[in-house]
Amino acid sequence: MRILRQALLLLRSELRQELRDFELLLTAGFFTVVLLAMFYLSFASLQARAHLSALPGLMWLTVAFVGVLTLTRVFDREREADTLRALLAAPIDRLAIYLAKSAMALSVLMICCAVLVPGLWLIFPAGQAFAELPGQTALLALLGCAGYVAIGTLFAAGLATGAGKNTLLFIILYPLTTPVLMYALVTTRALLDHDPALPDHLTRMFVLDIILFAAASLLFETVLVGAPARRPERPHRPGRPRGPAEPVHRDMSRETSS
Amino acid sequence: MSEAAVALRGVAQRFGRKVVLRNLELELRPGTIVGLVGANGSGKTTLFSVLSGLLQPDAGERWLFGRAADEVDAQARARLAYVAHATQLYGALSARENLRLFADLRAAAGLSTRPADEVLLELGLSPEALGRPVSTFSRGMAQRVALARALAARPELLLLDEPFTALDAAGRGMLSRVLLDERSRGAAVLLSSHDFDALIQICDRIVLLEGGALVRSVEHQGDRESFRRRAAALWQDLPADPGDTMVAG
Repeated sequence: MRILRQALLLLRSELRQELRDFELLLTAGFFTVVLLAMFYLSFASLQARAHLSALPGLMWLTVAFVGVLTLTRVFDREREADTLRALLAAPIDRLAIYLAKSAMALSVLMICCAVLVPGLWLIFPAGQAFAELPGQTALLALLGCAGYVAIGTLFAAGLATGAGKNTLLFIILYPLTTPVLMYALVTTRALLDHDPALPDHLTRMFVLDIILFAAASLLFETVLVGAPARRPERPHRPGRPRGPAEPVHRDMSRETSS
Repeated sequence: MSEAAVALRGVAQRFGRKVVLRNLELELRPGTIVGLVGANGSGKTTLFSVLSGLLQPDAGERWLFGRAADEVDAQARARLAYVAHATQLYGALSARENLRLFADLRAAAGLSTRPADEVLLELGLSPEALGRPVSTFSRGMAQRVALARALAARPELLLLDEPFTALDAAGRGMLSRVLLDERSRGAAVLLSSHDFDALIQICDRIVLLEGGALVRSVEHQGDRESFRRRAAALWQDLPADPGDTMVAG
């Protein structure tokens, strides 16, 4: 409960800052529109059957690109003034930071999907299933983006603590998110084909998301501050009890000439 | 004697092949102010990171508030505050919003915090500035906000990395007074600074960090002038660094 309250407070702060400069939304939204325009110019003249085959790929390719753009910027506010360290040094459950950042990235991606999916349907009539099954389409977008964000936020946070390593995110993120994107692609194809197995596909995506969020939650703190060093059991020195009760800093004031 | 707020024993930290802290021994007791001096790159900021839990030491023992702290958990973090060299503030938020965010986060964990306005005004910010985005602040004003955020939590351990940076003379005087008040309250304070005069006026002990190890220290033993002379001797032993402007007063 405490984690959730802290995550909501952090998310509220994120949204407050975003509403003041629209930095994330403008970048991601504009890029989505540009991709839609490029898809229209490149593929609109193809036959309807080709559209059906291409649509899942176009949808998740856009999510992959916009997602990485969002994830590289989602920690920018922390990177600018090193604010992430202030959060890490505060009595905040670190999982709350992960949840807030994931929710923020997911919100941005879902807003982009709200532009992307109707855009794809308008450009490619073969995508009318998106309009016929709006609930399933929304759920598919949510589950696909959530899986992507679950992994992406973890690595974006790890790279945010170092300087100028954002290029690494591309290298790490794409191989790791490929299974999520591939499965989202298969599920999208099932949706467009009105496949009766669609609910099963969506359920599997949900389970995959839970696994990814659980794994990322477990790793988040270690990624940010490292694991505690294993302390080898040192031999007890006679006459020198361990613990802080004994002064451990040698006072050398008398060694300095006065 | 009271329980140490911090005790480090044999702490070592390396980044890759570079050893930054080696066999470091340090103890801070409540109600004391310890000044940390050292040339650039001597490991001061790394030491603060280890103490605040931002880094896990590669070796050695870290004790906080009488407990072994293999990890600096939320319970320990609730009792300490760290002001880094960077102000670590959200530029798009106002000074008041920055403090309230952290106060709300503490409140969610059942911890109390002093009212934001009260602390900000105490640190010399004008009432008009409290609602302005921090991005419009000068470095000195932002530093006051960062200090206010730390002090609002009434920490038992205050870690300050170059807190006098960018503060004007009045600001340095104000901060010195505030730190002495914190000491009177029973807080343990560790601060790094290149400001010799400020350290001499408020510190009970000054330790020299060299090559990642605490090599020497001088203690105030009742006579401030003698303390000044001995500290000046220690100061002169600091390795020459063209980036530093450390001059014994």
